[in-house]
Amino acid sequence: MLNQQAESVIKIRDLHKCYWVGTMPFPALYGINLEIESGEFAVLAGRSGSGKSTLLNIVGALESTDSGRVEVLSRDILSMNQDQRTHFRLHNIGFIFQAYNLIRVFSARENVAYVCQLQGKSKKESMEIANHWLQEVEIGHLGYRRPDQLSGGQQQRVAVARALASNPKLILADEPTANLDSMTGRHLIRLMRELNQRLGTTFLISSHDPDVKQAASRLIKLADGQIVEAWNDIPKPPSSITSSCPMSNLPLTERLQNYFKAARGNARNKKRRRKTRRRS
Amino acid sequence: MAESYRLGLFTYFSLATRNLLRNRRRTLITLITMIFGIATLTLLSALNDGWLSQMKTNFILSYTGHLQIHAKGFETSQNLNDRIKDPEEISRLMQSYPEIIGWTQRIRTSGLASVSGNSAGIQIMATDPEQETWVTSMDQGIKEGIWLRPGMSHDLLLGRTVAQNLGAELGDRVILMAQRLNGEMVSEVFFLRGILETGAPQIDRTLAVITLNSAQQWLQMDQTVTDIVIRADVHDNTDVLYRLFVQQLSDLKYEIMPWQELDPMVRQWLEFSDAYGFVILFVVIILVLIEILNTMLISLHERQKELGVIVAIGTKRHQIFLMLLLEAVMLIFIGAILGYLAGSLIVFSVADNGINLTHFANAFEFFYMDPVIHPQLTQSSAIKILGATLAAALLAGIYPAWKATRLQLSQALRIQ
Repeated sequence: MLNQQAESVIKIRDLHKCYWVGTMPFPALYGINLEIESGEFAVLAGRSGSGKSTLLNIVGALESTDSGRVEVLSRDILSMNQDQRTHFRLHNIGFIFQAYNLIRVFSARENVAYVCQLQGKSKKESMEIANHWLQEVEIGHLGYRRPDQLSGGQQQRVAVARALASNPKLILADEPTANLDSMTGRHLIRLMRELNQRLGTTFLISSHDPDVKQAASRLIKLADGQIVEAWNDIPKPPSSITSSCPMSNLPLTERLQNYFKAARGNARNKKRRRKTRRRS
Repeated sequence: MAESYRLGLFTYFSLATRNLLRNRRRTLITLITMIFGIATLTLLSALNDGWLSQMKTNFILSYTGHLQIHAKGFETSQNLNDRIKDPEEISRLMQSYPEIIGWTQRIRTSGLASVSGNSAGIQIMATDPEQETWVTSMDQGIKEGIWLRPGMSHDLLLGRTVAQNLGAELGDRVILMAQRLNGEMVSEVFFLRGILETGAPQIDRTLAVITLNSAQQWLQMDQTVTDIVIRADVHDNTDVLYRLFVQQLSDLKYEIMPWQELDPMVRQWLEFSDAYGFVILFVVIILVLIEILNTMLISLHERQKELGVIVAIGTKRHQIFLMLLLEAVMLIFIGAILGYLAGSLIVFSVADNGINLTHFANAFEFFYMDPVIHPQLTQSSAIKILGATLAAALLAGIYPAWKATRLQLSQALRIQ
């Protein structure tokens, strides 16, 4: 459950990002304002090309912006140079990618331990941490296997362990279930949600998987580079999320309420119809 | 400023090794190409060193020795008045240097030889028959007849070509004509006891050898000589001895000449051979460099996404640079070592019997070369080959490694 007093992990103000193909501009993000608080399990939803991955990359200090302000863990990441960004990512952000993106030549354990070694820990200590996190994601017995000897779901669990091994405050996951079957995807989401609740690590996930959206503590819908809808599982004033899009705040909550009313109404009607049939 | 953490060396090596083994076939093909290149380079280098060494030895042992001491100006004037007046003083000096295994005194002058109406210009060399055998292998160059006998004052040896030109045969009376110290022309009858080949045709065209005693009497030179010829235990000690003699005999009365200065043509030829060796080295290294560069760039292209990921999770750019550079260095180093070993095996297998180039013997004899070349592995060529390959490895590795640090993260991560 989110704490009302929780501090902001991500603070984005009036963010614009445009890609250029030759002389043709392709706006990717347009006037994004967003605040994610500590411990949230936030999901960025939207169609392909809506700007989810770009937003995630910017928050992860992997990409630059055209204008705006991005603060992650109270640090202005846009003012950092390349090395400072790398250092910041190493100590504060964990990444989970759609295609797992494990280092092919390393075993599962070495993949997880690598991040710890980058942080300056000894090999032995890094291996111990790796073992711990592999057990946390329920594949402790597969640590010696290379990525090509693991299933997609197992590889993504290794990626989750790797993301957590550096003890980050924020985990960014880009379509983590897109390459998994629905059952494995659901397991992975349940695992990530559990870790989020147990460790309090903030998750920002881009996905259009309904299971991921269902698990979200907050759903942020992007369309054409703008936040068009946002929804929290906690009753909270929608003003905590704003967008330059004037219609961005209310429709989803209203629609959801209508949807559930309608669904309840339909269920009552069905019962009535069945009773009527039996009587007749 | 961001703190800087170091990745353990073991991690770098482990990553580099595994990345090289990732595409085994490509690594193997690259290695085979390198091994072939470096082995060829080793063999060519050994051949070059082998024939240079033979040439040096032939030149030194056939006639000149390692060092010669003359009276100041003799080598230019060739005048008997520029002579060493007290050779015994210098000879006593020789005994204090263990690097010297032999020395001899000589008189050198030009003259004329005639046999039965035929005459030819000659270079008369008078030497001590016993001492000479410690300095040069001239006595082993006797093709007909015998070497000079001590005490036999009218014995004469002629170079094969001059003997042929004169039509002289063993036992023939040969009249030699030369100029005494006072300028008077004198002639003397000698008996041809032997015909020799020094290994250098230009010497054999003019050489006439008589004993030192007979020359001293005939030319009225008393105990004086024109040359003191020294043989060192090994070629490399020539410079050491040269420096010692320059220090000891620095009173301007003498000129000390190492073998390289006695025949500028030989020196030029040796320098040319060195240059030729460098050209071969350069060409092979460039080929190796291109091969490695190609392999590394393909590998980099294939691994863009993975490199993007490892940068994303916190690997610094200088660490990426080192990883890629280490891969190139390891690949070249393994190739260089295996190539050098393969080349050495070939050299060892042919070193004893040598490579027979008898068909081209006429082309080589001018340069004091044997028609059978015995390839030779030397420390300097090993350093040159391995050093140059290491430099090539760094050059070939730097560009892909630098390119990897310029990777656009967002683009690399989007690669499918």
